[in-house]
Amino acid sequence: MDLVTVNGLSKRYGGIVALSEAAFSARAGEVHALLGENGAGKSTFIQILSGAVRHDGGSILVDGQDYRPANPDAAQARGIAAVFQELSLIPDLSVEQNIWFRHEPRTLLGTVNRAEMRRRTLALLERYDFPALRPEQELRRLTLAERQIVEIAKGLAKDPRILILDEATSALPAREAEWLLKLTRQLAGEGRLVIFISHRMAEVRAIADRLTIFRNGSTVAAHEAKAVSDDEIVTQMIGRHLDRLYPERMPTMTDRIALKVGNLASGSRLSGVDFSLREGEVLGVGGLQGHGQRELFQALFGATKASGTIELWGKPAAIGNPRQALTGKDGIALVPEDRRGQGLLLTKSVRENLTLSVIKRFTENGLLSRQKEAALVKEMVDFLRIKAGTPEQLAGTLSGGNQQKVIFGKMLLTQARVLLLYDPTRGVDVGTKGEIFQLMRDLAAKGYAILFHSSDMPELVHVADRVLVMRNGRIAATLEGDHISEEEILRAAMLETRAA
Amino acid sequence: MSAEQTVEGARMPAHTKDIKPGIDWRGRALDRAPFLVACLMLALIVAIYGSLQSGVFTLDELNLDTAAAMTLMLAATGQTIVLLRGGIDLSIGGMISLGTVIAATRFTDDPSTTAFWALTILALGFLIGALNGLLISLLKLQPFLVTLATWSILNGVAMIILPTDGGSVPSWWVGFASAQLLGLTSPVWMLLALLLFWWWFRATRVGITIQASGSNEKSAFLSGVSITRVNILTYGLSGLFAAGAALFLITQTGAGSPTIGKDYILPSVAAAVIGGVSLFGGRGHLAGTLIGAFVLTLIGNLVFVLHVSSYWQPVASGIILLLSVLASSVAEKAARNRVQ
Repeated sequence: MDLVTVNGLSKRYGGIVALSEAAFSARAGEVHALLGENGAGKSTFIQILSGAVRHDGGSILVDGQDYRPANPDAAQARGIAAVFQELSLIPDLSVEQNIWFRHEPRTLLGTVNRAEMRRRTLALLERYDFPALRPEQELRRLTLAERQIVEIAKGLAKDPRILILDEATSALPAREAEWLLKLTRQLAGEGRLVIFISHRMAEVRAIADRLTIFRNGSTVAAHEAKAVSDDEIVTQMIGRHLDRLYPERMPTMTDRIALKVGNLASGSRLSGVDFSLREGEVLGVGGLQGHGQRELFQALFGATKASGTIELWGKPAAIGNPRQALTGKDGIALVPEDRRGQGLLLTKSVRENLTLSVIKRFTENGLLSRQKEAALVKEMVDFLRIKAGTPEQLAGTLSGGNQQKVIFGKMLLTQARVLLLYDPTRGVDVGTKGEIFQLMRDLAAKGYAILFHSSDMPELVHVADRVLVMRNGRIAATLEGDHISEEEILRAAMLETRAA
Repeated sequence: MSAEQTVEGARMPAHTKDIKPGIDWRGRALDRAPFLVACLMLALIVAIYGSLQSGVFTLDELNLDTAAAMTLMLAATGQTIVLLRGGIDLSIGGMISLGTVIAATRFTDDPSTTAFWALTILALGFLIGALNGLLISLLKLQPFLVTLATWSILNGVAMIILPTDGGSVPSWWVGFASAQLLGLTSPVWMLLALLLFWWWFRATRVGITIQASGSNEKSAFLSGVSITRVNILTYGLSGLFAAGAALFLITQTGAGSPTIGKDYILPSVAAAVIGGVSLFGGRGHLAGTLIGAFVLTLIGNLVFVLHVSSYWQPVASGIILLLSVLASSVAEKAARNRVQ
């Protein structure tokens, strides 16, 4: 009998459907992989299973009995533990305090029995052959990889029947990732069910008995791992959808190099990136989430410290902080990831948002020229077709799409001609998406150079002239012309990662 | 550089059994830097005080100073718990005022009546605090705003009960603060009791859970913690300690005051911060807070023996607070650089 059976599971966040009609079944003693693109619903699914989020509809049976955990505690009581990608560890507690958090052995006084806790910790670490960890060390002193290992220990400490590993290998160095795969098999061998989420096809291939594929919040297919090819999996992950969302792609690229990046590195997430972006080009940046795309944009914009060289229009540029990056015709402008947090002041008007960072342009003899400001604002509102009652309407009251247009306007007013667009269509309605793509192509035709990241692969395929595929902080492939396809991007992003 | 070493370290074939747990003394010292700085300040103040005034290094002086500091210490104990949770409790000012006016109007020479009202004040403290916690959770409001509002409400109620300073408490209640055992007065024993309580509290699951919720609320939630319950308990305890502070305070004043509580709000936060408790939650110990309370109290003594205007006391307190914050931020940076 199946240990877990899920039918018709659905979950909405406001107007956004995260899961609809998801189905899943898995047996005790198997490693079951969950596959899907970013945003396919995997995360929501495991959040529901682990009690972090409650589902709206559908049923989950565990051991044939209804399962609807009110919180993570209730999930644990039924033997389900999750190793989260977004870790559940407490920075100010020690490694062992974290592992046994809320399940500490106690003395008669109700205090934590430290000796017993240490004994159990060492026994657990030994039993599963854990890599080196110091039980007494404070968590905030650990590296990301070490924290991930503590999180795994914490999951195992509950002796769960079902263990969920959410991209647990992505933060681990090769040796530890290897260990985790071995551990996963060991756990399945002990009769537990391991639900394994990974974007690395080689890992899935190495350990999964069965796999379930998610797309757009629904289950597409479930397979015996041996009975399906990589290509079939990738095709099912992407699905087929054609629409007229995308503008015609006219080559507008010139030979002039707008942005040349040499050996750009920053922290552990960005390790040596080289590329050049030409005038009139839309250069896509793709790959799976968390492989250095965010860091690349932040480094280019000067929001994080980075090493390497950056040339703008043939001149070396030292881009230290956002303010410097903003200024001038030879500058760089950014549409940031977090629109509401970083890009817009929601309680300010459309006009104020547009002109705040370029206030110098309307000052004459030290005084603000309201007329000049109004003229520019009108020009921008018309050009971008921002649907606001008046320029004095508060930005917070606009729709997502119109908010994004305001950010575009703000960016264009800086007069910078190298534009960094980080996921500019996220949370934007389909109609506005089309307008944004058209706008990007129009700007390219005017000689702007655009670096464009999207978490939605079809956008890269249909809008970009070339696509850089990132993997492990490097550029794994540069796709051009007919080679730009979702299959090629996924292949470059996922396959052969183990060799890296 | 050091980051790479750490990663390399993790790659070493060493397994748990091979590790020799060496103690990272420098790391520990950096972690405790604010506390150590507070100890140093206290030592310095005591040294100056002792050189200007005779009889400082006696049990009598300890008894006196502890009595002077105890109200603040009790209030700051509650505040420390709230800060550890990552919140702040301004309502303790209102609770202290309310406690003193209830006591001053209800306590009688009959011990059982007085005991009944004393317990009522403590229960009220816990309940009002719990209500703070509930409001913060349910309305998802800033602790600062919620407790600011309850402070105002409690203050108003105290004014209604007793519009001006007055009322009285039985003489045996006042005498409690000077009762002695083994040469130490009851405030010193209370101080020891507070430390004992803290040693126990911090080692219980409840204590760890409160600290964890302040360290990273999302992680605590994902680990199964009910944040609402944590808030109710945290602010409940803070209210309870504020009520305790009120009961002690009237042994010093002998009368109720509807406005006296406000004098303890910011000092309770300051004592904790001087003692190394983080305003961002998750870090700190009561020992530090108590030292901070001593520092703030002894500053008053020092200003007195220096024969300068008493208005210098808040000036000196402010400077000490700034120095403490500076010390902890420098240590924080040093510790962070070590990790990276």
